[in-house]
Amino acid sequence: MANTHREIQELLADYAGALRDGCLPTFLKSLTKEEAKRINESQDFWEATEIVRLMNSASFGANVVTPDVGLFISRVDAGIASRLKKAQASTRNPSRSHVNLQ
Amino acid sequence: MFIGHLHRYLGNEVECEDVLEDVYADIWENPDHLRDIEDDRQLLRTVYLYYMRKRLREVYRRLNRRSCLSQNDLQNLMAPDLGLADLVSQEELKQLLHKMLGKLKARERKAIELWMEGMSNRAIANQLETTVGAVKMLEFRTILKLREMLKEQCRESGGQD
Repeated sequence: MANTHREIQELLADYAGALRDGCLPTFLKSLTKEEAKRINESQDFWEATEIVRLMNSASFGANVVTPDVGLFISRVDAGIASRLKKAQASTRNPSRSHVNLQ
Repeated sequence: MFIGHLHRYLGNEVECEDVLEDVYADIWENPDHLRDIEDDRQLLRTVYLYYMRKRLREVYRRLNRRSCLSQNDLQNLMAPDLGLADLVSQEELKQLLHKMLGKLKARERKAIELWMEGMSNRAIANQLETTVGAVKMLEFRTILKLREMLKEQCRESGGQD
């Protein structure tokens, strides 16, 4: 991605590659202001991204599974417990956040 | 079903799991939107629109503070509105793509199939005996062609309903 003057077809190909390979943040960081503007103005780019997502989904998305369901569920449980704790703490001391703002 | 759908937007299994974890906790916290769901398609639509999309946007807001894309474009790229074929099942999607790919010229079809097998643009260029730039242009034009076919397909199936 060394080229900083990519045309719209190159930007789409790079977006597609990044989505397929799971490295979208790298693609986003590689964009220059000029390229971002080019993307913004291209209707073709936006329409093409939908097909890219479908292609990615049909070829690679079908095989995605949660490797350890037990671990995943325990992480969800922990997240819920943490939210409960926060909610209880805020009802016990409703003025605390207000005091901190002073 | 949900993790497969998230993969469509993120392409990264670890990120998909992280987002899904938050989505489940959000559903636990506020399950109201999921009342009166009648089928899988409606379930996926509701979960995407009310729970997933917000989380997807948050992930990218956090990861790409220095991106040159505007916030609006970033959101549209990472967590867009549901598209024409976003709610079809994986099996239906495969059949649909297979049908559309069958209507392409041999070279266009080859380029897309090789991409879907995971080949790099350079490797595709070697296979097609052309340059990387030409492959990118070929992919771009072919994808736009597929988009038109998809629109046509949706119009046809809409007309049949």
